[in-house]
Amino acid sequence: MATRSRLSAQTLSVLAALREEPSQWHHGYALAKLTGLKSGTLYPILIRLADRGLVEACWQDEPQPGRPRRHLYRVTADGLAAAAPVAQAESARPGTRVTPTGRAVVRRALS
Amino acid sequence: MSGLSRMRGALARGVLRLVPAGRRDWVAAVWAEAGEVPPGWRRLAWRAGGVRLVARETLQRRTTGVTLLFAAAAALAVWAAWPGSPAGFATSVDLADVITVVVLLGTLALATRRLFGPAGGGRTAKFLRIAVYAAILALIPAKNVVEQVLDAPPRGGIDLRLYRLISGPGFGNHWKNEILFLAVMALYAMAILWLTSQRARLAPATLVIGTVAGGALGVAWYVVGPLGFGGAPATNPWLPGSDVAPFMVLAVILLFAAPIAAMVAAGMRYTAPARGRIRQVVAAGLLTSLTGALLATVSGTGTIAAMLSAPWLRDWLYRDHQLAGVAGLQLLLRGNPAALAYSHQITAATDAPPFLIICVVFPLVALALAGLGSLGLAASVPGQPAAQTEVPGGDLSSGVASAT
Repeated sequence: MATRSRLSAQTLSVLAALREEPSQWHHGYALAKLTGLKSGTLYPILIRLADRGLVEACWQDEPQPGRPRRHLYRVTADGLAAAAPVAQAESARPGTRVTPTGRAVVRRALS
Repeated sequence: MSGLSRMRGALARGVLRLVPAGRRDWVAAVWAEAGEVPPGWRRLAWRAGGVRLVARETLQRRTTGVTLLFAAAAALAVWAAWPGSPAGFATSVDLADVITVVVLLGTLALATRRLFGPAGGGRTAKFLRIAVYAAILALIPAKNVVEQVLDAPPRGGIDLRLYRLISGPGFGNHWKNEILFLAVMALYAMAILWLTSQRARLAPATLVIGTVAGGALGVAWYVVGPLGFGGAPATNPWLPGSDVAPFMVLAVILLFAAPIAAMVAAGMRYTAPARGRIRQVVAAGLLTSLTGALLATVSGTGTIAAMLSAPWLRDWLYRDHQLAGVAGLQLLLRGNPAALAYSHQITAATDAPPFLIICVVFPLVALALAGLGSLGLAASVPGQPAAQTEVPGGDLSSGVASAT
């Protein structure tokens, strides 16, 4: 992507949450609980990630009776590759959140 | 389904329409997910996030600026036109005008976008749309000032409203006139939205020609209008002792000449293909009449409203001006300053309703001329059926290319 990306800690936390079970589809509310983000923050992040091809989204095929269909999200291969430096940074310093260095690495990967 | 549920569903669909098509799934996703959130404050907070998302995505639309501009202009028009006087017929008319016009313009903009597509024809199309919307919105407060004067109780003991001239068709406060006025404004807005849409496939030059010719026509009729429509003499300091008849002659000539000139110019600029050329010619003539009539109406009614609000202007322009057809008025008014001022006011106010006639007649004249012009143009292209000469999918680029 030609434009310079600006990845916030919140965006990185969403990527990290999706990366935990990369083959699984996640619900918005589950992601909100995992990341501690409000819906008004979480969804714009998901939109940006989907626009960049780092996350894929789809509608649930078979909704539960009496409930509306839910929107599902999964990290893509590009998203995994982009999140890998964050994972490395976190594993190198266990017990810490994403570091500025790791964030910079992800920014470079996405830009 | 209960009425409340239906209303909620309609509201949700309406809100979704504000969001760009590519983002609607995301807004629907937040709403669908709300059912999984525990009820109470958490669910409310979740939905509030959805509202934030709608606002965020809506504000990023390119059309948002135009929407905000329209909302601001509509609010200004409502503020200026909202009647503050005691209840009366004019007050009811004013309320109906303000509310109907604002709703009408907003609805037409949305509906015609679906039917006709977005604005085409470059900057002129966008300018025309904004100018026509602004003109119609500006017309309402001006018209309401006139309505209030026509409906006001007489002063000086002489009720000039009793004269048939004022209370006759086209002058009196009749609902049918209001309905006609609103219908005409709706047709004007719709016609301009169509002419400036992508689907109309008009060359930018056609829009420019029609706008310029319409401007000239509008100015000519504006000069005639507030200074004495109907041939009554005006006391213009630059034309002492003369009436407006020469201007009227010029205006009548322009009523026919301006659309014809626009049609000829558009036909010369746009040379191919045949059917596209006819479209440009007809549109140029119609646009000339629409912009001319609207310009004359808005500026004329606006000037009359200014006269009614500013006594010095009214007394200057209408010093010796009197109601046409009211015999012996000067004798009645002699030595009665209140009645004299009232007569000036009502004389000015009665010059406004004929603009509605202009709005109806001008496009009809242009359509008749355009019909004759297109018949002549079609006959001048022998052996080329119009339907076969048009390039599928749009002939704008080829037409403009050939014109330039």
